[in-house]
Order: sequence, then C-alpha cells, then structure tokens
Amino acid sequence: MDLLYLIILIPAVSAAVLLLGGGATKRWGHLLGTAAPLVSFLLGVVAFARLAAGDEEALTQQLFTWIDTGGFHVEFGLLFDPLSALFVLLITGVGGLIHVYSIGYMEHDARRPRFFGYLNLFVAAMLTLVLADDYLGVFLGWEGVGLASYLLIGFWQHKDSAAVAAKKAFIVNRVGDLGMALAIMLMFATFGSTTFAGVESGMPEVSAATATALGLLLLLGACGKSAQVPLQSWLLDAMEGPTPVSALIHAATMVTAGVYLVTRSHFVYEQSQAAQLAVVVVGLVTLLWGAIIGCAKDDIKKALAGSTMSQIGYMMLAAGIGPAGYAFAIFHLLTHGFFKANLFLGAGSVMHAMNDEVDMRRYGALRAVMPITFLTFACGYLAIIGFPGFAGFWSKDAIIEAAFAEHIVVGIGALVGAGITAFYMTRLMIMTFVSERRWASEAHPHESSLVMTVPLMVLAGLSVFGGVLLLNGWIVDWLEPVFGPEEHVALPIPVVVMTLLTLAVVVVGAGTAFLLYARRRVDVVAPRRVSPLTKAARADLYGDALNEAAFMRPGQYLTRSMVYADNRGIDGAVNGVAALVGGTSGRIRRWQSGFVRNYALSMLAGSALLVLAVLAVRLA
Amino acid sequence: MSVTPFLVLSAVLFGVGAVGVLVRRNAIVVFMCVELMLNACNLAFITFARQHGNLDGQIAAFFVMVVAAAEVVVGLAIIMTIFRTRRSASVDDASLLKY
Amino acid sequence: MNALAVEPFNVPHISYGKLSPLLIVFGVALVGVLVEAYAPRERRYLIQSVLATLGLVAALAAVVVVAAQASANNDGSSLGTIEAEGAIAVDGPSLFIWGTVLIFSIMSMLLFAERRLEGGITAFAGQAAALPGTEAEREAALRGIEHTEVFPLAMFAIGGMLLFPAANDLLTMFVALEVLSLPLYLLCGLARRRRLISQEAALKYFLLGAFSSAFFLYGIALVYGYAGSFELAEIDTAVSSTTGASGLLLTGMALLAVGLLFKVSAAPFHAWTPDVYQGAPTAVTAFMAACTKVAAFGALLRVFYVGLGGARWDWEPLMWLVAALTMAIGSIIAITQTDIKRMLAYSSIAHAGFLITGFIGAQQGLSIAGEEISSLQAVLFYLVAYGFTTIGAFAVVTVVRDAGGETTHLSRWAGLGKEAPLVAGVFAFFLLAFAGIPLTSGFTGKWAVFTSAWSGGAWPLVVVAVLMSVVAAFFYVRVIVVMFFSDPVGDGPTVAVPSALTTVAITVGAAMTLLLGVVPQPVFDLARHAGEFIR
Repeated sequence: MDLLYLIILIPAVSAAVLLLGGGATKRWGHLLGTAAPLVSFLLGVVAFARLAAGDEEALTQQLFTWIDTGGFHVEFGLLFDPLSALFVLLITGVGGLIHVYSIGYMEHDARRPRFFGYLNLFVAAMLTLVLADDYLGVFLGWEGVGLASYLLIGFWQHKDSAAVAAKKAFIVNRVGDLGMALAIMLMFATFGSTTFAGVESGMPEVSAATATALGLLLLLGACGKSAQVPLQSWLLDAMEGPTPVSALIHAATMVTAGVYLVTRSHFVYEQSQAAQLAVVVVGLVTLLWGAIIGCAKDDIKKALAGSTMSQIGYMMLAAGIGPAGYAFAIFHLLTHGFFKANLFLGAGSVMHAMNDEVDMRRYGALRAVMPITFLTFACGYLAIIGFPGFAGFWSKDAIIEAAFAEHIVVGIGALVGAGITAFYMTRLMIMTFVSERRWASEAHPHESSLVMTVPLMVLAGLSVFGGVLLLNGWIVDWLEPVFGPEEHVALPIPVVVMTLLTLAVVVVGAGTAFLLYARRRVDVVAPRRVSPLTKAARADLYGDALNEAAFMRPGQYLTRSMVYADNRGIDGAVNGVAALVGGTSGRIRRWQSGFVRNYALSMLAGSALLVLAVLAVRLA
Repeated sequence: MSVTPFLVLSAVLFGVGAVGVLVRRNAIVVFMCVELMLNACNLAFITFARQHGNLDGQIAAFFVMVVAAAEVVVGLAIIMTIFRTRRSASVDDASLLKY
Repeated sequence: MNALAVEPFNVPHISYGKLSPLLIVFGVALVGVLVEAYAPRERRYLIQSVLATLGLVAALAAVVVVAAQASANNDGSSLGTIEAEGAIAVDGPSLFIWGTVLIFSIMSMLLFAERRLEGGITAFAGQAAALPGTEAEREAALRGIEHTEVFPLAMFAIGGMLLFPAANDLLTMFVALEVLSLPLYLLCGLARRRRLISQEAALKYFLLGAFSSAFFLYGIALVYGYAGSFELAEIDTAVSSTTGASGLLLTGMALLAVGLLFKVSAAPFHAWTPDVYQGAPTAVTAFMAACTKVAAFGALLRVFYVGLGGARWDWEPLMWLVAALTMAIGSIIAITQTDIKRMLAYSSIAHAGFLITGFIGAQQGLSIAGEEISSLQAVLFYLVAYGFTTIGAFAVVTVVRDAGGETTHLSRWAGLGKEAPLVAGVFAFFLLAFAGIPLTSGFTGKWAVFTSAWSGGAWPLVVVAVLMSVVAAFFYVRVIVVMFFSDPVGDGPTVAVPSALTTVAITVGAAMTLLLGVVPQPVFDLARHAGEFIR
C-alpha cells in the first residue's frame, strides 16, 4: 500500500504545525492534534483490512535511501505485517481516544496546542518505531519516543518535580538506548545488515555467544523503555506529567515498545536459551516488584503506575517463554492497552473533579457524584483483576497457563502476581469510590464533561469485550505469519482447574482488600507505623536508593576524582611546563644584551659551531 | 711554490679581523677590522686564482674592493651620525635596544 | 694565462628582455637619484613616490611577460634559461620570487609614502644630519623637509633583492647581497621619531651585516678554491665528481651558510633581528621582514639545492641544528617580549625556523592539495603567505599611536579592542595567521612545509616545529587577550586614521591572508608551475 507512509507523516506534520505555529494555533490546535491520530487510525484500518483480506503476508513500502556510505547501506522502508498492524491500531486508536479526552482535560491550560504537538510527536515516533523494517529505523522511533516522553513528562516544567522526573526518565532511558545502539552495531558487525529480514536470515549461523549478547543488549533496551527491573525507576516519577500523558505512556505507546522489540526479535531469542531465560526472569521479577509497589501507594496514579509495571512484566514473561507465549504477550498488551487507558483516564477524571488531588486517602464515596467515571472505572477494574468474561481474564489466564507450562516457579510467581493485583486494585477501588468521604474541605467533586467521559465509555466497552480477540484463537492465527505456528504445550494440570485456581487466588486477593479497607476506617493521613515491607514498597522497593548507591555515588566520586586529577595533575603539568618555558624565556632573553660586540661573538661562535658540525659529520 | 703559506696568512688575517671586531670598542676600528676580513678574503681569492690558473678570483678581488668602498661610504655615514648624536664612537654606548 | 690573450673577443650576449625587471628597477633607482639632484624640493615627494611605485608595477608587468614567454617556450623540463653569460638564472623559482618581492615592495612603498599619520610628512627623518632634539631638527620638521632619498634607496635594495635569489654565480650573489644590504642599513637609521634607537639599529645592522658578509665572502673564497669557479653548476660538478672529504668545501659551505642564515635571521645569527626590527622605521621593518626574507630564502635554496645539492648529506645535519635552534629561540624568547615590534621580530625568527624545516625536506613530488608539489614550492608558498601577513601586521603597528608617535609597548595596546575594534580585529587575524590557525594562510603554509619535512624524513624536526608552534600560539593569543580583554591603562591608545595608502596595504595583507587560507590552490598551482631551479 503506497499510503503507508501517511500513517506516520500525518501526526508528524501535525506536530510540526502545532510546534512551529505557536500562538496562531491557539483556536484550532487541539482539533488538528486530535484529528491527526484519528486519520492515521482510519488509514490503519484500511491497511488492516487489506492485510486481512489479501494473500499478502505483509504490506511493505520502500521510502528512500537513508544512509549510503561504503559498506553501510540503509534503506528507509516500512513494514506493515500482522504484528505491526495490531500496534498501529492500538497506538492510533487508544491514542486517538486519549487525544479526545485531552481536549477536555487540558482545556484550561494556556499551552494546549503545544501539548497536542508533543502528543502527536509521541504518536508519530511510536508509529515509526513499529512500522520500520530495519532496526535503525526502530531506533529512530525509539529515540523519538524518548524525546517526546521527556517533553511530556516535563510539560509542567515550572514544577521542579516535573523537570526532575523528565530528566530522570530521559537518563534512565539513555541506559537502555545504549543497549539498543550496541545491539544494532553488533548486528551490523555480524550480519552487515540491520534489517529485520537480514538479521533473521543470518541468525541461524551465528555463534551462541553472539546470539546471547544480541539478546541481552536488546533486552537492556527493552528494559529501559518498558520500565522493567533494573531500569524501572523512572516510571513512577513519570506520573508528574499530565494524566493523559500517563495514559499514553502506559497504555498505548512507550512502555509497550520493549515488548514489541522482544517479540519482533523473536528470531534472536530463539537462538539463545540464556537470553530467553533472562527475559523470563526480568518479566517475573518486574511483575512482582510492580505489584508490591502498587499495594503501598496512596497516590492513585502511582498505584496505577505500579500496576503497569507489573502488567508489562506479564507481557515480558510471556515473550520470554517463546513461541508458546508471543501471541499471548501481544494479546495481553492489547487488552492492557484498553483497560489501562480506561483506568488512567478514569483516574484523571477523578483528579479533575478533586482539584488535582491525587491522594486516595482524600477520596472516598465518589461513586455517587461521578457515576459514569465510577462505572467505566469499574469495567477497567474488573478487566485488570481478571474477572471472568472481561478482557483481562482471557489474556492473563493464557499467560499464567503458559508460565506454568514453562516452569512451576514461574507459574506460581505469575499466579501470586494475579492475587496481589486483585488486592491493590480492590484497595484502590474501595478507597476512591466506596468507603466514606475524606475530601478536603474545598473539594466539590462533579462529573466530567462529555468530551472526557465518551472516551471512557469507549474504553470501558473495549475493556469488557476485548477478549473477543481470542475467539477461536483468532489472534494466535493472525500472528502466525510473524511468529510461526504456536507450540501447544501440555499443562501438568487441566486447564479448567488452572482457571479455577487463578480465580480463587484473585478472590483471596480482592477479599483481603475488602476486609482491610471496606470494613475499617481509612486514615486520612497515611499511618507511620507500618511493616518494613510496606515501608519498602512506599519507597519503590529502594530502586532509587540502589541506583544512587550503585551508580550515582561512584559516578560522582569518579567525576570528582577526575576533576581533581585534571586540576592538579594535568593542569599542574601544563602550567608547570608553561612556567618552565616562561622562565626559560625570561632567562635567555638576557642573552640579547644590547651590545653589538656580544652579538658578533655569538655569530662567531655560531660560525665555529657550524664549521665544526659539518666537519664532525664528515669525520663521523 | 705551495699555496699553503698564503692561505694560512689569509686565515690569520681573517681571524685577526674577527677578533678585532669582538674586542675593539671604537666603531671605526671595528669597521676597519671588518675591512681587514674582506682583504683576507681577497688574499684567498688571489691565491686560489693562481692555483686554478683562471682569472675569476682576481676579478672577484676587484669586485670586493668596490663593494668595500661602497661599504665604507655607508658605514662612515652611519658611524658619523651616531657620533654626532652621542658624542661617542663606542659601540658599547649604543645599547638601548636589548632583551 | 697566455691562452687568454689569443682568444678572439666575444661580445657578451645579454638578453635585455629577460632581464628587464632588474633593469627597470635599477633604472628607476638611478632616475630617482637624478630627481634628488635636479627636481625642486617641494615636488620631490610626489615624483619619487609615483616613480618608485610605477617602476615597481612596470617591473612586475615585465616579470609577468617574461614568465608568460618562458612557459610558452617550455619544452617540458624546467622553466627558463640562464642569462648574462651564466651570471643570472631567469628560471621558474626566480620569476616566482621576483613577482613576490615586487608585490611586497609595492605594498611597502605604500607604507613608505604614507604622510597623513605624521601630519603631512613621511615617517622618515627630515634631516638625518640634524642632531636629535636640536633647533635644526625642529626647523627641518617645521619646514616639512623630508628625506625623499628613501625611495631610490629602497629601489636599489629591491634591485639587490631581485638579483640575490637569481644569481647563478657566487660573486654575483655577493654583489647582490651588498646591493640589497647597504641601502637597508641607511633606511634603518632614518626614523623621524626615536632617532637614537633608529641610529643604533642602523649601526648594529651595519656592523653585524658587514661582519656576516665577510664570513660569506670567505666561504665563497674557499668554495672557489675547491671548485675553481664561482658558477653554481660547476661547483655542483666538482662536488659530484670528487669523493672524499674536502676541508675547503666543508668549511666554505658552512661559512656560506653563515652569510645566508644571517640574512634570513636564523639562530644563532639572529641577534640583530629584534634590535633592528624595533629600531627601524616601521615601514622599513615591514619591507625588510617581508622582502629580505623572501630574497634571502631564494638565495639560500639556490645555493644549497643547485650548487651544493651533491653535498646534501653534509649540510643537512647542520640545517637540522639551525632549524631546531631557530624555532626554539624565536618562539621561547617571544613569550616575554613587551614590545610589539620586538615580539614580531622574534616571531619572524621562529618563522625562519619553520621555513628551514620545510627546506630540509628536499623532497620532489609531494602531494599537497591534490597536486604534486616539491619542498622548494612549499617553501615558496610559505614565503608568499608569510610576507602578506607580515606587511599587514606592521602596517597595523604604524596606525596605533599616541602623542609620541607609534606606541609599540604591549601594555599600551590594552583595550584596543574597545577603542578600535576593526583595527584590533584585523591585527588579531594577522596574529592568528602567524600562529597557523586554520582558515588563514599561516595554516596552509605551515602544513605545506611540515608535510614536506615529514616526508623528507625530518619528522623529529616536525615534532619540534609543532611544539614550538604551540609555544608561539601562546604569545600571539596573549596579544589578542591584551587587546580585547584588558582595560586600557591611562588614556589608552588611539588609532590614527591613515591615508588610503596604508589602508590599501592592510586590506591587501588581510585579504590575501584569508584568501590563501581558504583557497590556496591558485598559488600552489603557480608555485608548481614555477618548477625547479635550472642548473
């Protein structure tokens, strides 16, 4: 399809117009900004239909020669295959709804056109990332996403915390980008090509060590973008951005990039057991890590952020399992995109109503004043905890099954994660919408306007019915051209038992939360005397402390010692030499005594020297 | 007859002139020492011309004399001016420019 | 001896056309003497300055015509012929040097003729015979008396400079050396202001110059004794045909080197340079620094490449020594100088060292800027680049003044950047060119000679040269810092507005410095076209 490039170009052009247009776009900027991803969505649907109807495995388009230097030749091409197709629809669809919602949410912000410009830039970069047919093209989008996220997280840069959070997100992402860049260099060194096709065709021949190195480097990149342990620390701080940004980052775009990269590079991981295992471990650790953090946070957005981290962990886990898990990773990614966007936008609606209050201890009993928000949020809630029939039920269940098939420890980890998810989401639900009012005195909550609630309703619908994608195993078949046939692995226990077990764990988690928060009064101020585990979870499980101790302090020490070495050692040497030369100069200029007879003497001596030198050379 | 004694004499005269430039203070005498060096060169020219049996060296001697005469004109003019200004012909007195 | 008597008398063949540049310059100089004798005093300045400039332009035109004819008759080997019964070589390098010297001379004549800076009279003494500070001197100044003899003197010097590098036998070279030196001795002593140091400069230059000529002459005598001829080609034959050491040749070679190295102001024969450059009238300093250096390097290259090329292994170590010493002394002593002219003099010494470094390469067929170029041509390019920058820099020195005339003490230049940003900026540009910063001719030139030396195997010397360039950069930049980042002391300097003459000289200097840094190709082409010395 020749119009494939327009999917990227439209939001990109819109971003350029909005960012360069300045104040001139004040009146219509938000409309243009919203229309752009929606048009891209329509184009995506058309392309999707072509792909679904035709015999083609993928739509491709070569745009231009990007780099042509000697042995390095890169074409800029687009690849719209079943995997990219799902991402395009998710990014433009959910992203479009977030744009619509933002019209209302950012209504009173003087810099709304700029906000929409950044959002469009974000979408364009993400679309580049998923549509490129070359790792270098992916990297371009990858960096674009990093830039746009930096701009958006720090959008309210007048707040120090926002500026710091933006910087943190950027720097942590740089660490991941380094891995990605090194992986691309290694690909070029090994295969002489950085296209997906070139790397895939070359993979079977490479040594296990190269494959493992490639896999681990790509995983490092994925960890940065997807906020996986050990590069998770930026995600919670990123809540400093406006709430639609959080929704966009968490549901539709940025954090899914890592999952995309790992699944897209499945041919790399299939050559390396070690790299696959690393992906599984990272996924498992992160899903528990995020879930535990989510339990202790009183800030509604941070609790949801912990949940995102945890849910992405599920996806990584599935992606690491191999052919049995790829399709489910993508499936969970889609359903998560629906319900997480729903939850974040719902949280935004609540904050909007409560004068930007984020502390859930100041909420309570909001279901009556905000019925639409409550109902839609409830749909998202049921989806994420895996209530039977809702979208999350199908996708998470599939991953837990695959995890059990992989290894019993992995399976139990995934199961426990589901229980904790049920606990913290129930806690969030009760503290926000049920229980008694704990509002600040000046709070006058009200239902949000239609421009905000309509996207919520759409997303709620998707949260409920998202599971249809698995009907007759559709999504598995759809992705088969990309990942190859699904491997069915025998479970040690029947699937029904498995499902019931999962449900039981979810009920236990939700029930515990109910007992703790619905039956007892919730304190307006967070209790100080809490268990060490809660303390640790409130401190993000000491992720920042670890970073500071392991990297920041040694880094600062290194910097200080280098400055010292520079000042004392190098500058000292340079200044010493300069002083020496200057001193020499001061001394030997005295030779120029002003007496002409002295000059004559030096000339005579010089002549004698020359004569002797010439004779000496000949004699020697 | 060997040319060596003439060359030795020429070298001695050149050396005497060079040392004279170094040790004498009066600009006129210094200049005369330079002339002595030029004449030492002349002696060498004549000697070599005789040895090689061609006229080039002898002609050179005439050229050197003419040049030396021109040099005297210029040199005395300069020394004269500076003597008038400073009331001294000592080359050591003219040492404002240094370092 | 008797054989000579019976030979029939052959009328010497002289092709006046090919020697016309020389003849024009000497002719104009003689006419200038007649003008001094017969023209009324008040008209002399105009007649002399116009005559000198026109003469130089005519000579330059003659050089172009001769060069065009020579390249038209080019049979593929080296350009040009040997004229005047073997006395003068009108070959490619000669013509290139002639053109260069004449262009620099024209620029210098513009500075000589400048009258506005001193309030309507030239910068030369009104009456050299009048004692400084006496009534006679004041009266001469009041009556506007000037020594217009400077023009014919300069013309004689220029004639000598043309003859010096073209001389094909050592006797002609000696005569040329004296013809170029004697007028310069006089010119140095003719400053209108600061007569004492001007006269001192003349005395020192004269005594040391005569002293060095004596060494040069003795060197000629010894080489003549060895080879039996003054002609470079025959000396070359003698050097190549005999094997084994010859004390005569080696000593003579060293003494010849003394005379030539004195003129290019290489250490340890540099002692006169700072004193004379500082004491002489600035226009004369500019003239000496640019033209004398070009002519002397031309002669140095010709003697050592043509006459003594066969003894390369004997003179190369000597030149290594001299080059290293010259660069070190020039660069290091310059650091602590407090007088601009004196600092530029040391800089000129350091540049002589860089030039000798290039000269040592003695390489054929280097590839520079995509074209084959020899180390002779690299040195020629450097001379062109250096000359324009030098004249421009000294011309700037003439316009920075206070009540006592030019103010050359470095501390008086503080704050010049605020007082006269244009003048300070141009001077800073010249200094950057001296330092060899890219986009200036200094960089291209340095690069050419260093490449030449490196491929000639003189890499230790190139290392020294680069180190010394760094040291040199320090004091050039120091001047820039003083001009732009220091507060003026007292009243601060004033920049006098010069007439169009000086302005043109500065502009041409700056423009060529930039041009040769950005598009050096045409001059490289010209140098390449000039080819090699003929024998």
